[in-house]
Amino acid sequence: MATVELIGIRKAFGPSVALEDFSLSINSGELVCLLGPSGCGKTTALRILAGFERPDGGSVEVDGRDLADDPPEKRQFGMVFQDYSLFPNMTARQNIDFGLKVQKRPAAERATIIERMIEVTGLQEQVDKYPHQMSGGQKQRVALARAIATSPKVLLLDEPLSALDAKVRETLRDEIRRLQLEIGVTTVFVTHDQHEALAIADRVGVMSNGRLEQLAPPQELYENPANEFVASFIGTVNKLPAVGTDDGRWQVLGRSVPASVTSSAGEANTAAVRPEQIALDPVPGGPAHVVSVSFLGPMTRVILQDDELGRVVADIISADATGLVPGQDVRARLRDDVSEAVLIGPR
Amino acid sequence: MRSLFRRDNRLGLLVALPFAAFVGLFLVYPMVVVIYKSVMSDGTFSLDALGRAVSGPYRTGFINSIALSFWSALIGGVIGLLLALTMKSLARPRWLHSSLDAWSSVASQLGGIILAFAFIATIGAQGAVTKVFMNFGIDLKSMGVSTTGFWGLVVVYLYFQIPLMFLVMMPAVNGLKASWREAAAIMGASPLRYWRTVAVPILTPSTLGGILLLFVNSFTAYATAYVLNASYPIVPLQIRFLLQGNVITGEEDLGNAIVFWVILLLLTSLLLVTVMQRRTLKWMSS
Amino acid sequence: MDELLSAGSRRWRPTGVVKWAFLICVGLFFLVPMLAMARFAFQAVPMALLTPDKFFTGWSVSGLGAALTDPDILTAAKNSLMLVVLAIILNLVLLVPLSIITEVRNPALRPYLTALTLLPWVIPPIALVVGVSATFRATVPWFLASIFSLVPFYALWAMPFTYRALDAGLQAINARTLYEAARSMGASLGTIIFKVLLPNMRASMVAAAALTAAMVLGEFVFASLLLKKTLPTEMVIYQRSDPRGGLGLALLVMILTALAIGLVVRTLRKRGLNVQTTGM
Repeated sequence: MATVELIGIRKAFGPSVALEDFSLSINSGELVCLLGPSGCGKTTALRILAGFERPDGGSVEVDGRDLADDPPEKRQFGMVFQDYSLFPNMTARQNIDFGLKVQKRPAAERATIIERMIEVTGLQEQVDKYPHQMSGGQKQRVALARAIATSPKVLLLDEPLSALDAKVRETLRDEIRRLQLEIGVTTVFVTHDQHEALAIADRVGVMSNGRLEQLAPPQELYENPANEFVASFIGTVNKLPAVGTDDGRWQVLGRSVPASVTSSAGEANTAAVRPEQIALDPVPGGPAHVVSVSFLGPMTRVILQDDELGRVVADIISADATGLVPGQDVRARLRDDVSEAVLIGPR
Repeated sequence: MRSLFRRDNRLGLLVALPFAAFVGLFLVYPMVVVIYKSVMSDGTFSLDALGRAVSGPYRTGFINSIALSFWSALIGGVIGLLLALTMKSLARPRWLHSSLDAWSSVASQLGGIILAFAFIATIGAQGAVTKVFMNFGIDLKSMGVSTTGFWGLVVVYLYFQIPLMFLVMMPAVNGLKASWREAAAIMGASPLRYWRTVAVPILTPSTLGGILLLFVNSFTAYATAYVLNASYPIVPLQIRFLLQGNVITGEEDLGNAIVFWVILLLLTSLLLVTVMQRRTLKWMSS
Repeated sequence: MDELLSAGSRRWRPTGVVKWAFLICVGLFFLVPMLAMARFAFQAVPMALLTPDKFFTGWSVSGLGAALTDPDILTAAKNSLMLVVLAIILNLVLLVPLSIITEVRNPALRPYLTALTLLPWVIPPIALVVGVSATFRATVPWFLASIFSLVPFYALWAMPFTYRALDAGLQAINARTLYEAARSMGASLGTIIFKVLLPNMRASMVAAAALTAAMVLGEFVFASLLLKKTLPTEMVIYQRSDPRGGLGLALLVMILTALAIGLVVRTLRKRGLNVQTTGM
């Protein structure tokens, strides 16, 4: 368990800047996801933390100690790679044993740890198999067991699930989180999959172009995106006009709601409105008409074409959406339970 | 098998038969006859010829050939492997990679008379390197490094063995994932330990396979040794003597028996090479 | 990233110097014999008399010129050229229809065909020549007496890389899918082969031809042991009477070979085909 501090990290590869003044502070035992499109610098940040890359500027501190001169071998971290990276000449057991042997732990202790790792990752059937005899999910379990066997100070996961099938991805994702909570290791998880990040992280850091756009718990990130990039990157969002009223509130989709900023009358801004925050009223000759209706299970996604607002996406509880058909005239409004608008800057 | 004779397969037979006949007549038939003749003498089964083919001067021939192949394969294998590893560790300059690649394709085929000529001009009696060393008072010939001596022939063979090993090893060396090294490092292993416990074991099968391939390659090399007029007997040169009838009566058919042993040696080696390659492929796919 | 160094280390280590020293040594080993051969061929000064002040004297291509006009060399070159052409034709006639039919009709047989076409590489020439003597010399002596007797054997050794090049070409254009698509549009097998498949296999055929040429121009075992007059055997004889001309010729042949192989590697790589030249 350890706290991690990245302070003002800069890193460029030739002319392309991978990280620009990147700072991140992680509490002990916390799981932080770095989320962003490919090329946003999230992997570079992880590799700098691991010691595989040297930052051009800034510092990396673990428990308040600067790691600048520590090569990866000295950092006592654990890491799981996207391509599993199991040693192909070793069985699952030998792979898990590798780091323990390096640490020169006594044989009895190693055996106990391996047994425990095999148990918590459910690898009983695979212990004596070689990587080429295992499925992707099994390999990644071994990689995870190998990474945590040495009781690392910090666990680094570099897109560990992106090579796996959807189904395996989900179960393994939950298992990673369960294990992480159980052993309480400080963890950095890099991914481009927002569902993954929102599902398991204590806090998610959204990155773009080498910068940290917002670092917040999943729910806050979703409900209160700091800017337009975060709003559109996480989930689906409608960017709708918000107009200031005399009382400092904002007029969004026909309702007047407060926001973090007080408005001045007539001021124009943009509100990020989630599809599930929209309700539809059937109004013959209304301003919008239904383009498509797709049943998604508990919710039904309705896409509208509004004369003023353009394309609007609304998720309606399926029970309330039974009457909707394409071509129908409707009016979109903000649901009554939405008590606050999220502003993401002027249009 | 029945499906082979269905109507729409007549076309298949039409193209397969000439091919089968060709390979059968010019490759399989002669080799079957050689094997047959090596164990049959005057219509009766006899292992006498096989015994004589590895005794007396022919035993010396086999020993020389094996020694020559062993050393040229071992030295060529080690240098070729180091070359592949060095090139992998050097990302730049790009041109060096492509030119070494192309040059290796050419040089690995150069096991003929051209190579012999080049080395006559280099370490022959009037060779450039021989003379240069002579100026420094070093007599290469007395060290066995001349075009007719054992080590001279090893050096000449290295000229095609090193590039061949490089070509054979490059895929395996490129198959070493950067993340294996990183995984080892983050678990606290020193670079040396990574090499000892991960990289070397992974490269071992393909390296052994490659060295065996070089062994086979030099065992059957004929043209270079012939042109250099090697002063001691090796198997391919002995086969030539037998073929041209420069032998005492009763030994004309000994060629068949020698070929029997050569084929046996090669098939065993190539089988081992295949086993090694299988293992490497399996590892690389995981 | 530097494999041999510890990742992320900034300290300077001597391994870089060692690597370059090693590369330079290997480079010299490859370069010096070629330079020595070129000097021998084109500088009419014996090594024993070569002093630094004579370094730029006596250079001429007269040796090579004489070799190129020697009637025996010309006959041998003509023979070799003929063998190249015939071996290529024989190989393509045998393998092009076979590889196409196998790929589009019986793809399950492909691995067996691959194994079968590799067979010539398991049997070294020095062994096969004994078999050939043991069989054809007694039964059809006129066959071995003719220079044409080399054609089937040269075709045989060219077979492994010819088939692999053709097969790679067929795989790259997805021949089976093309065949099925054309079939479903009602095209006959002949139309498909001549209009669709063959034009797309041209690069493979050129590659196979170039490799065959390189192989035939270097083949010595069969020609020498069956006493045939080809460029390699004649070069050995010629070199005994005129070493300078012989070496010049050898250098020329080597450059032509290198160009042929280089051409193959380039064309095939450009088309994304995996070319295998090892084991030729």
